[in-house]
Amino acid sequence: MTEHFEATDISAIIPIGGRHDDITALYREYQSALAATGVNVEFILVLDGPRPEASEQIESLLRQGEKLTVIELTRSFGDSTALMTGFQKATAPTIVTLPAYHQVEAGEILKLVRALDSADLAISHRWPRTGNRWESMRRGAFHGLLGRVTGQRYRDLGCSVRAFRRRVLEEISLYGDQQRFLPVLANRQGFRVVEVDVRQSPRDRFTGHYPAREYMRRLLDVFSVFFLVRFTKRPLRFFGTIGASVFGLGALLTLWLVVDRVFLDHPLADRPALLLSSLLIVLGLQLFALGLLGELIIFTHARDMKDYQVDRVLEFPAKAAQAAPSGPIGVVARNDELRANSSLTS
Amino acid sequence: MTSRPRLSICVPFYNEEESIAPMHDAIVGALEPLGLTFEMIFVDDGSRDSTLAIAVGIAKQDPRVRVVKFRRNYGQTAAMAAGIEAARGDVIVTMDGDLQNDPRDIPQFLELIDQGHDIVVGWRHDRQDKLISRKIPSRIANRLIAKVTGVPIQDNGCSLKAYRAALIKRIPLYSEMHRFIPAVASIAGPRVAEIKVRHHARRFGKSKYGLSRVYKVLLDLMVIKTVATFASRPLLWFGMLSLPLLAVGTLALGYSLYDALASGGPISLPLAGAGTIFFASSFIFICAGALGELAYKLSDLREAEFSALTQRLRVRQRPLRQPGSTP
Repeated sequence: MTEHFEATDISAIIPIGGRHDDITALYREYQSALAATGVNVEFILVLDGPRPEASEQIESLLRQGEKLTVIELTRSFGDSTALMTGFQKATAPTIVTLPAYHQVEAGEILKLVRALDSADLAISHRWPRTGNRWESMRRGAFHGLLGRVTGQRYRDLGCSVRAFRRRVLEEISLYGDQQRFLPVLANRQGFRVVEVDVRQSPRDRFTGHYPAREYMRRLLDVFSVFFLVRFTKRPLRFFGTIGASVFGLGALLTLWLVVDRVFLDHPLADRPALLLSSLLIVLGLQLFALGLLGELIIFTHARDMKDYQVDRVLEFPAKAAQAAPSGPIGVVARNDELRANSSLTS
Repeated sequence: MTSRPRLSICVPFYNEEESIAPMHDAIVGALEPLGLTFEMIFVDDGSRDSTLAIAVGIAKQDPRVRVVKFRRNYGQTAAMAAGIEAARGDVIVTMDGDLQNDPRDIPQFLELIDQGHDIVVGWRHDRQDKLISRKIPSRIANRLIAKVTGVPIQDNGCSLKAYRAALIKRIPLYSEMHRFIPAVASIAGPRVAEIKVRHHARRFGKSKYGLSRVYKVLLDLMVIKTVATFASRPLLWFGMLSLPLLAVGTLALGYSLYDALASGGPISLPLAGAGTIFFASSFIFICAGALGELAYKLSDLREAEFSALTQRLRVRQRPLRQPGSTP
């Protein structure tokens, strides 16, 4: 697979955040595993905030003449941003992301790259997996919940060893904590995602306990993905349903109070339940208004947000079968052209 | 840019391998005698059969055909939107890929567009479909749609429609909107005409749409109609919505105050509390309206642009003065 590639075959991006192992050893391992097959790899190291220990090791690697691209961020922006920053400097058609700590055996990484022959994104599933029962239960719960919510079933999203084609990140802009959910977002965008079984690194041992805050964050993450996947197109369906039920509850309660007032002569002024009922009514209306606001944003921006992804436009004599290497390029370009054509003055 | 064709025909195909070649023949047969330039855009909506291969084969033979291939199945609205976007003609005709529409009707559509209509809608007056599952729900839905939108069209579901390209390219299309493009387009105030078209029974393949859609379509329609009408003045609209809340709030607060003053007792907590809640809520509504204003301002949707697309312009020019003829 080497001959038909040009300068670089693979760009390997390593975001280095708070949790990292010995960078020199890790880099050597990745480097020797990837270089062994003769593919041309460029390494892009992104230091997410000041990491003195890692910086020192990278310095010495550079002094030894290793060819690296090193990006230092002034503060910690999080893995997604570090990844996107690294991606901007990547030149290869295939991108591999690697964690700054041991997760999978380095020799297995090329398996993912090979899987790209029939997919756009290959993610790893560490198998067989070490770890105690509690951890595997926790994983099962997380992936199960995500599967229910998004309809996509994955087994190891925590593993950030991934390989994908350039166009995946050209189309999906990650922010916040979305890096973990790249497969979900990519699948939604119409990319083919495959899970590849890889051997877990013997040094991938997480023995600590996650703080409760971490669980809360994961839960919120799932919620935000749920939102992103299901309701960014039709917000009123979501807000409207909740709003209508809350409003209905409030209306029923009010009805009861009114009946009570009219027929049983129970003055409203003495009913604390009135507070609850008006709160529910108002809450329902406001949820509905939020949904409307969402619809408004969608409607006014619908021309920029596409419901669909064009794989390619095939037209025959002149520009024969122009594959779109980076997603819907043909259409995006043409869109601007159209806007220019249909200018108001004509 | 090469010369633009007069007419673009957009046809979405989803698993229609048998229909695509006859469709192409029918379109060519109907349009070639007219002696105008036209192009065909076949949108492959992620078909799993050999639809794409056949379409590509046709495109290789006929330079007027372009094929837009979707990455996966996105549905008919998306396919039509993609076709409309890729089209280069002055007039865009959309039709189904299942041979139920007849390209021989296209010349009539063109004629009406030439007469100054912006949108021409086909009406399958002699519809060849199942009565219970297709025709009756569709009839009810169309009545409702006409009522809601104020655009009296008999048959919104007919895919055979013609548009002035400049207009339709500016209309946002998403979700299930292809069913009521005329209603969505009503934000631009287009001149809409409806003509009877031929309708054939399905020859190949299976119908992909059923009864369950009607509910979704209606819901969508109401939302879109609402949003389309208030999009350009959200603050006003949310302000109107907040008025009843404000009224209830003021009433409850006022009454509790009056009651307390008149009887000399303490203010009733439930009543005053409820009043405050309503009052505060009306405030938040207005703030939501302000946010809406922001969203509209940041978008590139402008009513002036729509009005310019559909306007009738008549300028009577004063005769130019000849230089030197003035005293």
